[in-house]
Amino acid sequence: MPFSRSSRPALLWRAALLVAMPAGAQQTAPATPQVVPAGSPRSVAGPPVLPNRSRDPGTVEVTLTAAPARLTLVAGAASDVFAYNSQIPGPTLDVREGDRVVVHFENRLPVPTTVHWHGLHIPATADGSPFHPVPPGGRRDYVFTLLPGSAGTYWYHPHPHHQTGYQVAKGLYGAIVVRAPDDPIPAAVEERLLVLHDNRFDAGGAVDLPASDSPRGRVDFENGREGDVLFVNGEVLPTIPIRAGAVQRWRIVNASAARVYRLVLPGHTLVQVGSDGGLFEHPVELTELVLANGERAEVLVRATGAPGSRAVLETRPYDRYVPQTRPADWQRARPLLTLAYVDSAPVQSPVIPPTLRHVPAIDTTRVAARRVFALSQGMINGKLMDPDRVDVAGRLGTTEIWEIENLVGMDHPFHLHGYQFQLLDRDGMPEPQRRWKDTVNLPKHSTARLVVRFDRYPGKWMYHCHILDHEDHGMMGVLEISP
Amino acid sequence: MRASTTMRRTAWILPLLVATPLAAQVRLAGRDLDMVVQRGRQLVLQHGCGDCHARVTDPRHAEWMAGTTDTTGNRIGPFILLPRNLTPDRETGAGRWTDRQLFNAVRYGLKPGANPDVEVTSPVPGQGNHPASPRYLSVGMPWMSFRHMPDEDLQAIIAYLRHGVKPVRKAIPENPAPPDFWASEYTEAKIGPFPVAAYPTVNETGAGDAEVVRGRDLVVMHACGECHGGSGNPASPHWLQGSKSEQPPGTFAIGPFKTRPRNLTPDNVTGLGRFSERQLFNALRHGLRPGETPDVEITSRTPGQGNYPLHPKYLAPPMPWPAFRHMPDDELRAVAAYLKRGLKPVRNRVADSEGPPDFWASEYAKYHDRYPAAPFPAGGERKP
Repeated sequence: MPFSRSSRPALLWRAALLVAMPAGAQQTAPATPQVVPAGSPRSVAGPPVLPNRSRDPGTVEVTLTAAPARLTLVAGAASDVFAYNSQIPGPTLDVREGDRVVVHFENRLPVPTTVHWHGLHIPATADGSPFHPVPPGGRRDYVFTLLPGSAGTYWYHPHPHHQTGYQVAKGLYGAIVVRAPDDPIPAAVEERLLVLHDNRFDAGGAVDLPASDSPRGRVDFENGREGDVLFVNGEVLPTIPIRAGAVQRWRIVNASAARVYRLVLPGHTLVQVGSDGGLFEHPVELTELVLANGERAEVLVRATGAPGSRAVLETRPYDRYVPQTRPADWQRARPLLTLAYVDSAPVQSPVIPPTLRHVPAIDTTRVAARRVFALSQGMINGKLMDPDRVDVAGRLGTTEIWEIENLVGMDHPFHLHGYQFQLLDRDGMPEPQRRWKDTVNLPKHSTARLVVRFDRYPGKWMYHCHILDHEDHGMMGVLEISP
Repeated sequence: MRASTTMRRTAWILPLLVATPLAAQVRLAGRDLDMVVQRGRQLVLQHGCGDCHARVTDPRHAEWMAGTTDTTGNRIGPFILLPRNLTPDRETGAGRWTDRQLFNAVRYGLKPGANPDVEVTSPVPGQGNHPASPRYLSVGMPWMSFRHMPDEDLQAIIAYLRHGVKPVRKAIPENPAPPDFWASEYTEAKIGPFPVAAYPTVNETGAGDAEVVRGRDLVVMHACGECHGGSGNPASPHWLQGSKSEQPPGTFAIGPFKTRPRNLTPDNVTGLGRFSERQLFNALRHGLRPGETPDVEITSRTPGQGNYPLHPKYLAPPMPWPAFRHMPDDELRAVAAYLKRGLKPVRNRVADSEGPPDFWASEYAKYHDRYPAAPFPAGGERKP
């Protein structure tokens, strides 16, 4: 029984706390202990936050260690994993716009790794790309400053050449929250961080990683590796308490290697207020939210149910596969978490402003280059990744329009490092509103155009398919921005 | 212009056909029978005649071109179609028919033995000795594309069947047919005019280099349009635009899998626009899916060697690339040139074909030793 993993007294205690405490108070609460035995109930508000060691108000200084660990991820068996600070997911980097962030990273893994700060607009040397591996036993300080306007939900994960899928599958992933001083969502809205991940285990609890030339390995390569165990913040089917009338803000990170979530909360609509690069200009009401791997979304969940009732957030079938390797059970809906209404009288719903912020448009009248990126199975423009080759040479201070074409019959999520871009259109249909994105899913045989401005940070950047098996195979290219 | 060339050729050769048997004609044309047979063999290989008439493109096959009594495939509605015995056996094979009957079969679709053995000069029933109530070959035989081959190519194919293939005694039951013997299937509206519409049609760019025009002839004559749309008629509104239906030939059921012929027009999003001519060459020569194979020159047929992918992803059957790969390099390049430069792009999104997780690799592993073809004469062949 998955329900048994969240013990009832703990739930009631937490529910009481959440109702009583304003959302802001939780954020400033003292850091939770760093080492939490995996499998024990954690705060459903999200994984613990990395404690800030700095006394300087404008600096966040944290320590992050990647190391082998033995954790209980699925009931009844311990798994040999890799973990950041002994936790899966890794602790959350919770920071503010304007903060100078110093991450003291230590690699205690037996293999080289990096920490890629997915979506952050930071210098190339801090990007954690395959160009800057940290050897076993090595250390690296990642130092960057979060620019105004960058508030949003991001995540971090390893990005070593050919090894990303393996290391993420072993447990290395965590979330980043960047907060704005002028966040328009009312303080009465409780916040949750939901880090979605899926994995597969053998009977002994070991992470199931088949040989690449085995039939299962071939299917994993084709589809991207999917697991049959779906985790929310490292837990299976956790419960989130909610009070009727309340509104919760869910920051959702798709940290899966390949799975695309089609999220539905029966009986409820989802009001999406943000995506990869932070808030939208205007909220959008949805009955379902499709979140590709690497993408994030911020949604408001309005507690329109009755006290004492329950609703299950589930991911519905999404056909992203080539017909040859489409899983037999792909049409199954899978439950992710239970939303449990507390037995209390409804509260007054907070009012959500119709305009959240201004998202400036990138000027498309002066475009330095228009480029086409043709995605086929495992390749971009017919080529495999070569770290010694520069595929795209751009110049600092210029704007480019990229046309991403998916030539083949499965979805490929396209991720650009270092820069947030704006989608112009998909298959010729203009985007309904401006949004900052760093990952865009290209459904099978579809095209999207994006505009990106290389406003700062020269250096070498990656762009790639975020299906980790494809990325590791070499479905990646190098963008070099010269000053 | 091809159409007028064909007509000139036809005007020249037809009087000879009336008067003399084929072997005499080819001598009159100044060609050696041996060379004609070799040319016929090449055409039989690259047009995939063996794919139906021997269930394999491999002249080593003991029953090469002897037809099949296997009823598992080739079902059109209630009719099971059995490819005929084309070997020169006089009891059960094409040895029963005259060269002229065989010529009329491929040029006009007229079933040998079911129509008068006379010279036919018109594709229109009731005109120029074309029977008023023609009895046509069964559906499935792509004569409406093959008929656009020049006379000497058809004669070479007949010469090969007559003199280069071992006779095999194998009786194939008659194919059932509807009461009109498929006449309603073979109207000009459905299969296009003969001779073929002049290049360029409304579907074509008019790019005029010789390679493109050559490629167009090859595309027409190799029956690409029978599955990819438009039959043998480049003026068809469906010409090479790919599947538009979930019924054959818009979709084929291959076991539990569906194959949907691709859009071959150079549309950037739904067609071949983003593939290079080299990728199209590799698709036709090696059967490798262009979107999933690197755009490189392939110099080997062994997976993992000479740029041949270690885990090849093949085109879905029944794409007859095991036959098309026998085309000479320049012909394959011409086909790619026509598809890329001679056709106008048309947006028609075709759902993916289905297949086993290995993308048919285990099916096609046994094909590696079938190219190049065994030297003539192979097991199913004989010297003239």
